[in-house]
Amino acid sequence: MAGFPILSLVTFLPVLGMIIIMFLKKEQALTIKYTTLLITGIQLVVAVVMLLNFNYNAQGVFQQSSFQFIEKFRWIQVPGVSWLGTVKIDYFLGVDGISMPMILLTAIVSFIATLSSWNIEKSIKGYFALFLLLDTGMMGVFVSLDFFLFYIFWELMLLPMYFLIGIWGGPRKEYAAIKFFIYTLFGSVFMLLVMIGLYFSAFETLADGTKVHTFNLLAMMDPSNFSANGILSPFNPSNLRFIAYIALFVGFAIKIPMFPFHTWLPDAHVEAPTPISVILAGVLLKMGTYGILRISYPIFPDITKQLMWWIALFGMINILYGAFVALAQKDFKKLIAYSSVSHMGYVLLGMASLTTAGISGAVFQMFNHGTITAMLFLIVGVIYDRAHTRGLDEFGGLAVQMPIYAGFVTVAFFAAIGLPSMSGFVSEALVFVGSFSVEGIRVLSILSSLGILLGAGYMLWTLQRVYLGKLNEKWANLKDLDVREYLMFVPLSIIVIFLGVYPSGMLNIMTTSVNTLVNLVNNGFAKVLF
Amino acid sequence: MDVSNIIESLKLIKPEIAVSASLILVLIFDLIFHKDKKLIPYVALLGLFATGYFVIHQFGTTGFGFATKSTFKAFGMVTVDSFGTFFKLLILISAVLVLFFSSFSDEIKKTTDRLGEYYVLIFGMILGMFLMVSATDFLLIYLSMELLSLSSYVLAGFTKLRDRNSEASLKYVIYGSVSSGLMLFGISIIYGLTGSTNLYVINSLIQSPQINVLALSFALILVMAGMGFKISAAPFHFWTPDVYEGSPITITAFLSVASKAAGFGLLIRFIKTGFAAMTLNNGYWMLNPIFDWKLIIVILAILTMTLGNFSALWQNNLKRMLAYSSIAHAGYLLLGLAVFSNQGIAAILIYFFVYMLMNLGAFLIVMLIADKLGSEDVDDYDGLGYTSPFLGISLAVFLVSLTGLPPTAGFIGKLYIFSALIDAKMFVVAVIGVLNSVVSLYYYIRVLKHMYLVKPKIQPVEIIPGLSQKFLVLLLVVPVLFFGIYFSPIVELAKNCVVLLGF
Amino acid sequence: MNNIPIEYYLILSALMFAVGITGVLIRRNAIVVFMSIELMLNSANLSLVTFSSYLGNSIGQIFVFFVMTVAAAEAAVGLAIIIAIFRNKLNVNIDEINIFKW
Repeated sequence: MAGFPILSLVTFLPVLGMIIIMFLKKEQALTIKYTTLLITGIQLVVAVVMLLNFNYNAQGVFQQSSFQFIEKFRWIQVPGVSWLGTVKIDYFLGVDGISMPMILLTAIVSFIATLSSWNIEKSIKGYFALFLLLDTGMMGVFVSLDFFLFYIFWELMLLPMYFLIGIWGGPRKEYAAIKFFIYTLFGSVFMLLVMIGLYFSAFETLADGTKVHTFNLLAMMDPSNFSANGILSPFNPSNLRFIAYIALFVGFAIKIPMFPFHTWLPDAHVEAPTPISVILAGVLLKMGTYGILRISYPIFPDITKQLMWWIALFGMINILYGAFVALAQKDFKKLIAYSSVSHMGYVLLGMASLTTAGISGAVFQMFNHGTITAMLFLIVGVIYDRAHTRGLDEFGGLAVQMPIYAGFVTVAFFAAIGLPSMSGFVSEALVFVGSFSVEGIRVLSILSSLGILLGAGYMLWTLQRVYLGKLNEKWANLKDLDVREYLMFVPLSIIVIFLGVYPSGMLNIMTTSVNTLVNLVNNGFAKVLF
Repeated sequence: MDVSNIIESLKLIKPEIAVSASLILVLIFDLIFHKDKKLIPYVALLGLFATGYFVIHQFGTTGFGFATKSTFKAFGMVTVDSFGTFFKLLILISAVLVLFFSSFSDEIKKTTDRLGEYYVLIFGMILGMFLMVSATDFLLIYLSMELLSLSSYVLAGFTKLRDRNSEASLKYVIYGSVSSGLMLFGISIIYGLTGSTNLYVINSLIQSPQINVLALSFALILVMAGMGFKISAAPFHFWTPDVYEGSPITITAFLSVASKAAGFGLLIRFIKTGFAAMTLNNGYWMLNPIFDWKLIIVILAILTMTLGNFSALWQNNLKRMLAYSSIAHAGYLLLGLAVFSNQGIAAILIYFFVYMLMNLGAFLIVMLIADKLGSEDVDDYDGLGYTSPFLGISLAVFLVSLTGLPPTAGFIGKLYIFSALIDAKMFVVAVIGVLNSVVSLYYYIRVLKHMYLVKPKIQPVEIIPGLSQKFLVLLLVVPVLFFGIYFSPIVELAKNCVVLLGF
Repeated sequence: MNNIPIEYYLILSALMFAVGITGVLIRRNAIVVFMSIELMLNSANLSLVTFSSYLGNSIGQIFVFFVMTVAAAEAAVGLAIIIAIFRNKLNVNIDEINIFKW
């Protein structure tokens, strides 16, 4: 496999699809749909091929040599003068155990979301073109190892997302779309400033021995690459590094979304069409936590350790706040949206523990939440397509009417609650094992476990209100799932159950890298050598 | 000042001579062929290309021209260096584009019988701007600014079709004359204090402690008011929205890019040539501590961009919205100046290059739509993105670029401005700057909202641009996207054009 | 020039400038506004000439010639525009030339 640009392929394949779609005619709706399906299908296959070739023992995280499928070549180069250093930006992609699960997740969720987009009717061409552009943006974030490239992909998603919510969304779509856009941009401009600050603080030694400023994330993780008086250098006694960490964290926290920056999420979810909700919850939210693990943690280990209690606290708030608000919802989709807030809280809590168990749990939870919440949104989509309403109190007894559907609902709900033998259980358990073992955040961990109870509460209550009990006569003619919907639910259910029974399948991918990350953060900047 | 000196100096102003020659040529053509004016745009275009040849040839040439006294032979009226040539190139490219715009514009087509004057006045503007960016003597600064102003006053009210043209013109004349009056008074004080009008001489004289700092500061503020008027920096921006909205759209586009570029070129040269003691090796300037330069420019910049952005939020007329947006962009550019370093100037040059592409592009699309729609109101754009996909997508690219999002060139401009700020450790200013760009997202995206999201009340008009119009739009869209992804060429160019002669 | 101190000229010039600015700000008739602007330019001219004579170099006086020419051009353009407006509105009151608002 060496030399073959598989990461570029997986990232830019959707752009190719977008270009093909641009040349198709408006009327060829079916061709457009099948093209998209084909492209996301190939993307999924490529992702699986990558998994098969993946070396489970390579560390990654900070060491370029142990990253896999590396692609690195010069993108921008302007020779310097006395007052302006050489401008050098690399096109630098690579994968390690933390990004591999995310790539799989993106490929799976994109494929499922394509299937779920089948009944989009309004301007199909534009929809699928933007959808594919969004796909490239997501994939790009997970494979970039250069901050500049990362930032471009990060921002690239905003515009397609704005249009996908704004054009194909529900009644308050314009409001939801602009809210999403402004919130995320607000976060990312701070990220931009931190990025520039890091650029001016860190150096990279080129092959010819010259030192130049760099956007290379891996170079920023090595303290020997910082000049003593650099703005964000670890040797700089000012508290700028602390401020930069917070600014960067806010940028990521908005995407997660972390309380109190979460208010865009319910609006965006409720108004977005089903497939976009699936993408949003399934992949986009993970970018926030992924960014923290990929950038904040290894570049600022000193400050991460200072702030871990606060991260755990916000994790706990997210878990409990999301759960409580979910309990009060009358709209099915809003309930799922708030349950997302709650579940992303587990990720934060796990990350804050800085233990192997906790961070593995967090990464695993990111993957599981992606699959489970995707299913939950599809479930909402199915009844909304048929009944055109999402009021929780308007249904009842749907299990009788749609038995197969109800079967998948049960799988998804139990997985979301965290029932043993479902994937959600393993990741939540790991998060709690990790966070409980750390003395500083033990109390927060115990309090957070209330969230499981509340989660079971709102999920089961929903199950009862919508699917059990007496069938509301109004819905006596709802049809059960068709083949396409089968195709969406079956693979997700298999993944959820398989990873519940055999979690090592996923955990093995990340263990080495997570260990490396934990060592890196805990040992501060002391180089990890093993 | 002998004849040989003059002849030597003439060699330095070949572009200006070409512009003047073209001006006269257009005038003569207009007189000879007064029945058929179709030929005039071609003559004008030819003139611009000839000028372009000389401008490109001038890259790398340096020298002082038209010295006033033989004792000060080194310092002349004009200074030719790459910095000025960069701005000349910028002005020239936008002039060529505006020439093409004019050939499509319905507003201009309606005044075919006065087409000759239109092009003559445009050449007048170009000549004024060329001299502005290379002037190093107050006499030439004043005259070139007036040449630009007088030509643009007339052009702002050129079409006379509606009341709003004349109103724009009148407001422009009044604000413009007042600010040139202020500037002239400032110049007279500086002349009184130093006995010279040459910036280099003033710089060397000003080092002495006998200068009355209070009077000098007062004079400087007056002079900068005049220049602030040209770049529409707050609080001298009041004319901008009215004039931009009222003028023919081609002229608005030209004013918003070229005239602003000339103003910035002049302002930068004025500050650096007149008041920089030296440039340090790391690119930062040592300015004469007459007053707190940094504080003043920072305040001006923040005021300008904040006022521009927040006023743009509730504009319905797109021309007016773009006027406020151009004020906001002047604010970002001033941030680059506020650093007072070569990095900041490089950022300004990069930003200006990008700004030219995207701003002219946005005005072009607005013009093409307005010609068909008869309106520049954003409410009338409902659903236009579906009936006119080409124009819709192009406008989207330009607006996204104006917001400064990757992967468009606008992002690169912002990136360099903020890099310069962070390098100078001006963090708070940088934060205010980026927050401003978040605010700007709201009004730029509002146009897209109307084009794509809002359900139209009436069936939107279908606008199919002609082949040449499409080509022109692509000529702007493609670079905006290309330089967003691969920006080495602009950085390379800007880097080589930063250094001013003498420092 | 030998008997009258330079300050007198400068004070006169400053006063003229102040009167000009005040006129621009408070008068409502466009033509009077233009007259005030001329006053501002002339005050600058006066101080230029004064300094020129005081410093004994001719740059200031040369400058004044150019300013006078420019002022004439500016007045011509301004009056032409005022006439264009007058034809439409039969009025040159600045308060009533107000199509554009915030």
